Amino acid sequence: MDIDYSKELVQVEGNPPLAELDRVISLPLDQKPNKNFLIAISITSTMLLIGVICVGLTFYYGIGMWGNNQPVGWAFGIINFVFWVGIGHAGTLISAILFLLRQKWRTGIARFAEAMTIFAVICAGLFPIIHTGRPWLAGYLIPYPNDHGLWVNFNSPLVWDVFAVSTYFTVSLVFWYVGLIPDFATLRDRTTDKIKKTLYSIFSMGWRHSNRHWQHYEKAYMILAGLATPLVLSVHTVVSFDFATAVVPGWHTTIFPPYFVAGAIFSGFAMVVTCLVFLRKVFHIEHIITMNHLDNMNKIVLATSMMVGYGYSMELFMAWYSGNHFEQFVFLNRAFGPYAWAYWTMISCNVLIPQLFWIRKIRRSIPVMLFIVVFVNVGMWFERFVIIVTSLHRDFLPSSWRMYTPTLVDLGILLGSFGLFFTLILLFTRTLPVVSMAEVKAVIHGAQPSHDGSNHIQQIGGE
Amino acid sequence: MLNNDSGYIKKELPAKVGTIGLVFLAAGIVFGTLGFITDPQRAAMSYLPAFMFLVSIGIGSLFLVAIEYLAGADWSVPFRRIAEFLSSLLPLLIILVIPLLLNMKNLFSWTHIELVSNDPILQGKAPFLNSVFFITRVFVILLIWTAFYLKFIMNSRKQDVTGDQALTKNSIVFSGIFMPVFAFTITLTAVDWLMSLEPRWFSTIFGVYFFSGAVWSSLAAVTFIAIKLKENGYLHPKVNSDHYYSLGTLLFAFTVFWAYIAFCQYMLIWYADLPEETFWFMHRWTGGWSFLSLAVIVTHFIVPFGALLSFPSKTNPARLKFIAIWILVAHYIDLYWLIMPSFYGEGRVYTFSWLDIVFPIGAAGLIIVVFNRGVKLHNLIPLRDPKLQKGLDFRL
Repeated sequence: MDIDYSKELVQVEGNPPLAELDRVISLPLDQKPNKNFLIAISITSTMLLIGVICVGLTFYYGIGMWGNNQPVGWAFGIINFVFWVGIGHAGTLISAILFLLRQKWRTGIARFAEAMTIFAVICAGLFPIIHTGRPWLAGYLIPYPNDHGLWVNFNSPLVWDVFAVSTYFTVSLVFWYVGLIPDFATLRDRTTDKIKKTLYSIFSMGWRHSNRHWQHYEKAYMILAGLATPLVLSVHTVVSFDFATAVVPGWHTTIFPPYFVAGAIFSGFAMVVTCLVFLRKVFHIEHIITMNHLDNMNKIVLATSMMVGYGYSMELFMAWYSGNHFEQFVFLNRAFGPYAWAYWTMISCNVLIPQLFWIRKIRRSIPVMLFIVVFVNVGMWFERFVIIVTSLHRDFLPSSWRMYTPTLVDLGILLGSFGLFFTLILLFTRTLPVVSMAEVKAVIHGAQPSHDGSNHIQQIGGE
Repeated sequence: MLNNDSGYIKKELPAKVGTIGLVFLAAGIVFGTLGFITDPQRAAMSYLPAFMFLVSIGIGSLFLVAIEYLAGADWSVPFRRIAEFLSSLLPLLIILVIPLLLNMKNLFSWTHIELVSNDPILQGKAPFLNSVFFITRVFVILLIWTAFYLKFIMNSRKQDVTGDQALTKNSIVFSGIFMPVFAFTITLTAVDWLMSLEPRWFSTIFGVYFFSGAVWSSLAAVTFIAIKLKENGYLHPKVNSDHYYSLGTLLFAFTVFWAYIAFCQYMLIWYADLPEETFWFMHRWTGGWSFLSLAVIVTHFIVPFGALLSFPSKTNPARLKFIAIWILVAHYIDLYWLIMPSFYGEGRVYTFSWLDIVFPIGAAGLIIVVFNRGVKLHNLIPLRDPKLQKGLDFRL
């Protein structure tokens, strides 16, 4: 296919009138849920219920219900935590970093990705609390002057995690909400239902689409994007510090921060693609979330896959180059030890399979891309498994080497976290517009003065 | 026929630019050669930062060219030629590297066989750190860079004549291939020329560290030249403060990125406190080097960060020009800090040498000469690039 590089790319196909965009996007909010939705949510909420039962068992009987042992003191709990925090990163990257980079294609997918961020961080945040085994004491994670004179250990990266993740969650939520305000106003103006009208009115905070409102909005959005951008880096950097500050071979390496961030964006984008492929089909918004959007996202998946691959190879090379025997052993053990299957799963899912995205046809083929991104999600989960379990299970003291096997409770909680995530996603698609109506209108053809000056008049006249 | 409302008229830079460049370069060559004759060891030490500076500018500029194609950016198209001209340093590096290769014994302790044979760790590294493999690597990397340089340049030049969009597409494909090759080669370059100066030390992030500084300084060079050209009426009249703002923002982003990488490297090594890693930072904190370490933090991060934070400093040409020069100097200080303390410690005391001034002057002269030649031979903007009109019309 030949592209004319001198022309702007079309963001919304078919040039629909503005009112039609509003109608299409808010359609799911106006209709009663259909059968497919009910089937989907019953599956996800069953998964969630299984998770809740397993968490209940954990709280009642204690962490002994899990497969954790000595020396593998960290396992599923932390793997799932890191996995879910990672999933969240794509949302902030799309909404904040791509905004600052003036990538117009982000508008179609930003809302959904941000929602995904918030749900993923909710899933992630639960795990450390469950892992403490005494969730009722979680309040002590927050440093405040108390009668017991108890303080958190400020030297511990685990406490930095508390700050990092809670800041991230707050900023993401505010960012998401600010983006929603104009859409709430549109919904308020459209709806005839009294209850909905009241709710939308409250959440739209008196938005009138006035010029002054827009000016303030744009400024606030820009500032929030600027604040959220370092957070994309800082959250997963701090998560990587949990490992990298330790002197455990396989954990302590200086490339961990950027490599974790790249991995997080990688897995997050894979999850966004996984969800959007279905979403655009079910809601008939293929002209808003176009093949170009998916193509672009797959390119980012490819790029971050290479960054992750760079991380793996640097780790391997430096383990050899360092001349440190323990370091060398850990990497040999990863690749050829008892957990070699996990290592090679990780390598093939994260580095080898995404290479298919070099081919344009594959980037634009729905079934193939779905296949690849699901593998990426699996691979990124295994990456955390490899980092955490294989580094611990054979430590400095060979007499205490031990294998790790997850229990049913471990697996149940993992399943439950997916249940929670997808239940929230499903509820979201029926309560809020999955695409930002206001932002999409700003990128349709003729909305902005273009360098050839065409079509502006035509668009207005067409309405 | 041109596909843009070209206000561009090709003209040469004033003669004094070429003269200044030549004088600087000649001074660098003459005094540098003198240095290599009188004290080859000290000369090699002083020459290495200058060489790495040229590597940074050369390969960093080529990265800027490639990333523009890959990301589909249009605002930067009016500046792409500046980066292209700067990356023509790359073929010259093949010659410039020779004095270093002749002085490997003076730079790299791992070239001393008797030292390596008494040290099991260095022996373990010998399959990688040995003269033959090192020299092969260096030349292969430089040739790969030159090949990519020629490919991008030829596509771009050809397009000035034909205006063929297939050339843009071809460059995009090559940019895709370039990126992984670039990541691999710049990492090896950082390990070879910088990390292996202290052959026992290792850090997995080091390649990224060098990358961030290289791209940062190349961006600064492009920014400085762009503003200077625009002020003197060489660039297209449509280039305006919105373009500067974008350059300034990118500079700001890379300032923070470098600081992030540098902080991660330092923090993790400091926190874990393993003697096999910390000694590298100790070399940079004892023997008077602490002042230079602090200078790196101040010049490389605090000042550019504060200076670039505000909107006016990204749009005001005079300020941006100053910051760009500041950044180039800061990158040189960073390279000096990476390289020079490696040769001291263990009782050897550092003394400043006039060669530390001569080589950077020569390097600056070379950059000016190379750029001046580019302007003389070619158009200063990619006249028939399909994205040029979009780039010129760019507004925030």
